[in-house]
Amino acid sequence: MHKCDCNPLVPDIVEVIEIVEETPDVKTFNVKSEKGVPFDVMPGQLAMLSLVPVGEAMFSVSWQEEKEYLQFAIKRVGLMTDELHKIDVGQQLGIRGPYGNGFPVEECKGKDMLFIGGGIGLAPLRSFIKYCFKHRQDYGKIQILYGSRSYADLCFKEELFEKWPGQKDTEVFVTIDNPEEGWDGHVGFVPSYLEEINPDPAGKIAVTCGPPIMIKFVLQALEKMGYTDEQVITTLEMRMKCGIGKCGRCNIGSEYICLDGPVFNLAQLKKLPPEW
Amino acid sequence: MKVLSKDKLETVFNRLAQESDVYVPMQRGEQSGFFSFLTYDAARDEIALDILNTYLPPKNIILPQTEKMYSFRQEGTKVNIEEVYEDSQPKIIFGIRGCDAKAVECLDMVFLTRGYEDSFYKSRRENTVIIANACYAPGPNCFCESMGIDPVNPRPADVIIRDTGNGTLVWEAASDKGKKISDQISEFLEEKDVKLPEAKQCQRQVAYDGVAEKLRDMFASPVWDKLSEPCQNCGICTYLCPTCYCFDIQVKSWGEEGYRFRCWDSCMYREYTQMAGGHNPRETGTERFRNRFLHKLEFFKERYGTSLCTGCGRCIIACPVGIDITNIVDLIKEVDAGA
Amino acid sequence: MMDIANKIKEIAKKLLESGEIDVFIAWEKGNFDYQTRPFFARTADDVEKIVFDEYSVHNLANFLLKYRDGKEKIGLVVKGCDSRGIVRLLEDSQFQRDRLYIVGVCCPGMKDPLQTMKDNSGLNKNPAADSLAAKCKSCIQPNPVIYDELLGEQQNPGIEGERFARVREIENMDAGERYQFFAGVLSQCIRCYACRQVCVACNCRTCIFDETRPQWVGRETSIEDNMMYHLVRASHMAGRCIECGECERVCPVNIPLMLINQKLVKDVSELYGPYEAGMEYIEGAKPPLSTYKENDPDDFI
Repeated sequence: MHKCDCNPLVPDIVEVIEIVEETPDVKTFNVKSEKGVPFDVMPGQLAMLSLVPVGEAMFSVSWQEEKEYLQFAIKRVGLMTDELHKIDVGQQLGIRGPYGNGFPVEECKGKDMLFIGGGIGLAPLRSFIKYCFKHRQDYGKIQILYGSRSYADLCFKEELFEKWPGQKDTEVFVTIDNPEEGWDGHVGFVPSYLEEINPDPAGKIAVTCGPPIMIKFVLQALEKMGYTDEQVITTLEMRMKCGIGKCGRCNIGSEYICLDGPVFNLAQLKKLPPEW
Repeated sequence: MKVLSKDKLETVFNRLAQESDVYVPMQRGEQSGFFSFLTYDAARDEIALDILNTYLPPKNIILPQTEKMYSFRQEGTKVNIEEVYEDSQPKIIFGIRGCDAKAVECLDMVFLTRGYEDSFYKSRRENTVIIANACYAPGPNCFCESMGIDPVNPRPADVIIRDTGNGTLVWEAASDKGKKISDQISEFLEEKDVKLPEAKQCQRQVAYDGVAEKLRDMFASPVWDKLSEPCQNCGICTYLCPTCYCFDIQVKSWGEEGYRFRCWDSCMYREYTQMAGGHNPRETGTERFRNRFLHKLEFFKERYGTSLCTGCGRCIIACPVGIDITNIVDLIKEVDAGA
Repeated sequence: MMDIANKIKEIAKKLLESGEIDVFIAWEKGNFDYQTRPFFARTADDVEKIVFDEYSVHNLANFLLKYRDGKEKIGLVVKGCDSRGIVRLLEDSQFQRDRLYIVGVCCPGMKDPLQTMKDNSGLNKNPAADSLAAKCKSCIQPNPVIYDELLGEQQNPGIEGERFARVREIENMDAGERYQFFAGVLSQCIRCYACRQVCVACNCRTCIFDETRPQWVGRETSIEDNMMYHLVRASHMAGRCIECGECERVCPVNIPLMLINQKLVKDVSELYGPYEAGMEYIEGAKPPLSTYKENDPDDFI
């Protein structure tokens, strides 16, 4: 629900306070407004960022750091993101949100968590992963499976290789698509690595995000391993323009990704047409 | 009954135009549409309250095809939102038919309910008075009755007018806004008993009952391949539709300043769902065609409780290849859901 | 015409039954006597629905673009103007001749079902006279220029008056008047892109107007963006328009698009011709603006 009586399509202004180069085509942008965070965001929610004279695009918020700033990990894939990758610290951006339902952090309490991400798909998952670590006592064992095309393309390397594996009762599995020099970790696609690891579904919630084709195979693999539809959660991406359920284009059946999504469990997803 | 003589209409429009932008059905050359009375040119235009309906729908009055949202200025790294363009100019839609009035109700559901109110729409809509024209003789492509509309009792309406066919209009205020308008022109309204024409039924009847429910199982049906084969994926049906509301948001900028605007978009266009990374969930014309009809007949009903087709018939009239939504409903009724 | 219709059905039936083609594109009857519409027959049963009558106005060659990436063999009916469209598609390498079975019909001129639908709808108080479609009154090629089988008697061109009279009228305006004229008609445009979608010459896989990186033409229905759309489209038509008139016929807001196209037809012919697009299929032949010679003048650059 939009809380203020201001125009929901007109953005607030935030300033970029830090830019981290994650991979050759992914950068993380930390943004804050005059009051700190422009609005509070739950894990998995979205925000519309605008490089005002260029365009607007919807991104998953990859973390809210207290009341200080929001983080967005953004891959260069189009006109708007090309331009975003050229900006420097200090640049002001437009922002509106938060949009979407976010991950069911409450319902997942007391469960073991399995996160399965591919490429930039780790960005939305990261907000939930960090939330779990922040509220560590509320969640059971945490397993993170993440893959990318190459070592260079792995996002959040510091967290992936240093911070997260050291956390209590946590396992991190990383894979890259093809062998490369200097990499002695796992090689192969995420869905097949998932089958190798074969994590037991008992008491577990699996959360996945990645390219549509990866999601489709991961869902199949989880189903094969005995995960029920209610145990599997994914977050979808569609083209969005308004973010408030008016402009029409992000529908899957009668649901709008910007309002009713982007997070669905497999039971909900199966009720929708397979058009994503 | 309050009655308005038709020969006083122009005077009435002039009076109302002192406070509001009055949109009136006109035949303008080969085109009919709701045009602002301010642009009325007797040499070119014919005021056409007696026309069955206008070819161009009146939706642009409350949802303009192109609408500036806000202007901005960027200086160095600093950005300022300068002006937000919410349009609160009073407007009157004079003579809208029941199908198009129902379409306004659909737009209201989209823009004013389900979590967010769209401020641009709200501002315009709240300042718009709807004077609806009861329809006693539907045309060859009209099927509003099948879509749950009573053409002689158009809703929503602030005033309902009824053409007696004898040079007079019966005038019924139907809301507080309508009463205010009636007061403004009270000197032109006489108290008189007149006979109303007999209402004719729509010649076209469509059995829409149960279609939304049946369509739930027809997403993967091969009928969509066949039905969409003639469709050339132009946007005529969406742009002439009184309910199609989908829009795009874009920017125009020059140097350091510019404005963001929205404009009608069409689900018929590939670019509509094209994502920056290359993926497009509705890549083919058939998928886009299916989405349009499912949106009209199933999805909207699931979300808002009413169909997004009001039976105005414009898409039937204007489709270059003769695609007819009533034929599609008939066919959906006939086929096995799985086939 | 009944005769021709029956022959078309006979041919379609034979081709579909023998498996020579997978689909036959012709017309069927809609809900009104005056509503004839494109139809895709895939079985002998479907063939029974085929009609050919005074409202068979659509240029069916455009539908070939739907199948260009497939392997299906296609039979279709073309009139004189439509057949020029097929030549253009072949010249542009958008289709293979051996995937086509072309039934040519010499065309006496057609009525426009779209105009008649509109006139009978109750939504138009100024109906056109129920006569030939406007586009058929400037027809220069009623007889098919490419076909596997030809039906009907050779017809005379339906053109009335001097071919470029209206173009000259516009040419004779001064710049200000001309701007006013085009600003007037193009301000009506609702950007439904029907003119592009029905056009055989518009066979680009990604149209410049759908490009987003960069976006070449704005999406506002302002006079600037509308003019940009129509001017860019028009210049892409130069040497490619086969004057089938479908763009103008389907335009829901009556923009005189053929006036713009005809200006380019005239200019291309005067500057590079004599040339008429798609009049004859010669393998490897290209329209003037699709070829390049090293000694082409470039002093304007």
